[in-house]
Amino acid sequence: MSTDASVTPPEQGRAPAFTAFRADGGAAPTHAVALSEAPRPTEAATPAPPEKVIVRNLYFFYKKYEALHGINLALRDKRVTAFIGPSGCGKSTLLRILNRIYQLYPEQRATGEVLVDGKNILDPGVDLNLLRAKIGMVFQKPTPFPMSIYDNIAFGIRLYEKLPPAELDERVESALRRAALWDEVKDKLKQSGLSLSGGQQQRLCIARAIAVKPEILLLDEPASALDPISTQRIEELIGELKTDYCIAIVTHNMQQAARASDYTAFMYLGELVEFDETEAIFTHPKNKRTEDYITGRFG
Amino acid sequence: MSPYARRRLVNTTVLTLSFAATAIGLIWLAAILWTLLQNGITAIDFDFFTQDTPGSGGDGGGLRNAIFGSLIMTALGTVVGAPIGILAGTFLAEFGRGNPLAPAVRFINDILLSAPSIIVGVFVYEAMVLRMGHYSAWAGSVALAIIVIPVVIRTTENMLNLVPGSLREAAYALGTPKWQVIVFITYRAAMQGMLTGVLLAVARVAGETAPLLFTVVNNQFWQGVAMDAQMANLPVVIFQFAMSPDHNWQRLAWGGALIITFAILILNISARLLANLRGFSK
Amino acid sequence: MVDAVIGKSGIGTRQNSLDVVFRAATFFFAILVLVILFGIVVALIDGALPALKQFGWAFIVDSSWDPVKQIFGAFPAIYGTLITSFIAMLIGIPLAFGIAIFITELCPPWLKRPIGTLIELLAAIPSIIYGIWGLFVFAPMLQTYVQPFLSDTLGEVPLIGFLFQGPPLGVGMLTAGIILSIMVLPFITSVMRDVFETVPTVLKESAYGIGATTFEVVWNIVLPYTRTGVIGGIMLGLGRALGETMAVTFVIGNAHQFMTSLLAPGTTISATLANEFSEADTPMYLSVMFALGLILSVITLLVLAAAKFMLIRMERQGGT
Repeated sequence: MSTDASVTPPEQGRAPAFTAFRADGGAAPTHAVALSEAPRPTEAATPAPPEKVIVRNLYFFYKKYEALHGINLALRDKRVTAFIGPSGCGKSTLLRILNRIYQLYPEQRATGEVLVDGKNILDPGVDLNLLRAKIGMVFQKPTPFPMSIYDNIAFGIRLYEKLPPAELDERVESALRRAALWDEVKDKLKQSGLSLSGGQQQRLCIARAIAVKPEILLLDEPASALDPISTQRIEELIGELKTDYCIAIVTHNMQQAARASDYTAFMYLGELVEFDETEAIFTHPKNKRTEDYITGRFG
Repeated sequence: MSPYARRRLVNTTVLTLSFAATAIGLIWLAAILWTLLQNGITAIDFDFFTQDTPGSGGDGGGLRNAIFGSLIMTALGTVVGAPIGILAGTFLAEFGRGNPLAPAVRFINDILLSAPSIIVGVFVYEAMVLRMGHYSAWAGSVALAIIVIPVVIRTTENMLNLVPGSLREAAYALGTPKWQVIVFITYRAAMQGMLTGVLLAVARVAGETAPLLFTVVNNQFWQGVAMDAQMANLPVVIFQFAMSPDHNWQRLAWGGALIITFAILILNISARLLANLRGFSK
Repeated sequence: MVDAVIGKSGIGTRQNSLDVVFRAATFFFAILVLVILFGIVVALIDGALPALKQFGWAFIVDSSWDPVKQIFGAFPAIYGTLITSFIAMLIGIPLAFGIAIFITELCPPWLKRPIGTLIELLAAIPSIIYGIWGLFVFAPMLQTYVQPFLSDTLGEVPLIGFLFQGPPLGVGMLTAGIILSIMVLPFITSVMRDVFETVPTVLKESAYGIGATTFEVVWNIVLPYTRTGVIGGIMLGLGRALGETMAVTFVIGNAHQFMTSLLAPGTTISATLANEFSEADTPMYLSVMFALGLILSVITLLVLAAAKFMLIRMERQGGT
């Protein structure tokens, strides 16, 4: 039976060490390692960040088929939570519940509660468009809109805000900067978003998502379609972004989860098997199935 | 003859025949275009575009009123028919899932698509001409619109269905309301294909004669944009002039045939070029 | 976050009502399509009723046509419609097949697109152009060279000789059938081409790999695989042929008579409508026109229904 998912605050003063799973075996330090090396005086003083999203008793159905069986977990603000597990375990399904994008398909439904800042977003009275404006999502496949780079970013902003052109320009630029794309596209903002490379397109999608100032970011295997260099840049990006957002990332790449996240949830066949600080999951997992998956015995 | 030799003979024969078939097809095309050029080019002069249709037994004259009338009615038929077709096609592609009406509309659309255009003419005759008491350019335009609609519905639905679901999801994930997802994202992605469909529909109705035969018929004179009366148009003029023994009329008929054919061929080729344009906003 | 999400803010409500309006608009115009067809059916039946009541079922088999005495029979028109379409299919299908084979199997790659486009341009040419070309170029040619030849040779052959009797007039059923075949050719070819190209290369390669000739691959692999699409294309062509008006009007001779010879002039439903609809000066005459239109619609619908039925059956049997 699955262990009850419990969220433990990070141990005071103890920095997570990810050295166990660094594929490069000690080459140039990644951003995550650099973080771990730096002293963290504030960690001892401040409590763990609040729980931004609380999932209670979540079940999910494709027509009659039950795909998620009673999920309970919480996502903390300003932290990255990774979801790992073999194909079909339900991690993407869970992510897609958080912004109710599953609602596009009438044969899919969810029961239970998903509390964001205390209010249940599965409630029928919720305005889906407004919800999704506050919860951003980046998909596995880069999907730039068929318009200019500038318009790609401006599109989301224009949906809900009426800004004078100068301010709009600023917002676009700042989003592109945060997504580490500005320098590469600043001279070709009028060009089609489709003219960018795969890695650039994905960063464009990230810029697009953060331009509307969401509070939560959902990333569904954002780097799986990209080459290793683009992947690395995206991971760095995630590390930078987490200071402002509550981030949930689904990944089939365990090393990526280990590198880039603070908390990890291991899912298997629609159940949440284990949830803990990333360091704990990867160095001393409590559940045998977790250990088997992490050590590569299956999946 | 050994079995293998026989197989080879069959093969060679069939392949030669298929080559011949292609040659035949291409020769027909060339023959028709050549005839048009040969007989029609002599009629094309300045008068052709500036004079109206002459009476019988006359000399000279042109097809100004017919060209103008065709332009007006084709444009009106498209302006009315294309938006209807696009919106109906949008219903099928974007709102049709789970709705039992969608397969019904699709099926009916298939029927309309293969309906003989003369039947459309008969329908508009009963629906408009009889009720109004006279032929009119309105009726002609409506008949053309009815032919445009099914074509545009079909191409719009196909093109919208080609837009990947992931693009729509990305738009919804930003909090975009459904109508904006369709209009600003999905339409934009499918625009190239949709425009091609409209162009092809225009090319189709530009040459249609039968639906105009008993809706707007013809008019020997120029009457500008008077829609409530009979209006000259190229196909019917060609029909009447070609069937007559009047040599001048026949000359003009060939000229009209030439320009209408080449106009339509250009529309068709433009549509193809548009469809295959790379780097258009996809 | 909370107040932006729960309940409806100003922006949210306006967008939701725009959503409703947009959906309603698309729904309305989709229904319009149903209304149009319904209107056509009603108009045809309504207009045809007087004639049908007057002449009854005999209308379909009667050959008389006397506008003065107000006696009408649809048989020559129906017969002409069916025969010309049959000839068109007889000639058009093999030709289309040949062209499709050529383009997909024989043609060098750089030539595929241009030839395909050229053949499709045949479909773009308006039917009235086929008509005048047929009348002024093709018919005289047939009259001088082909028809005498046919009546001299095939006209003497025992079982089929009756098809090729009579003086060479240039115009007639055969001429109309041939012109129709060129008109339906591009439609059938285009569909065949498209479905032939969906055949997976591995399938063809495995046939070539055991030494099959190109023809054998096409006949035994490609055709069965694409059965459904090919039938669909043929039905599409047939539908066009049945309803084609202007090309046929010019070259069929416009004679309301039933003759067995293909070289004789005749008429089709659409040609009759084109020529006589505006001349119909009595209510009964006009009603006969509607009746003819109704019969043509029924024939076309039957063909369409047969096509869909065949396609469904094929899909059940596991074709493509």
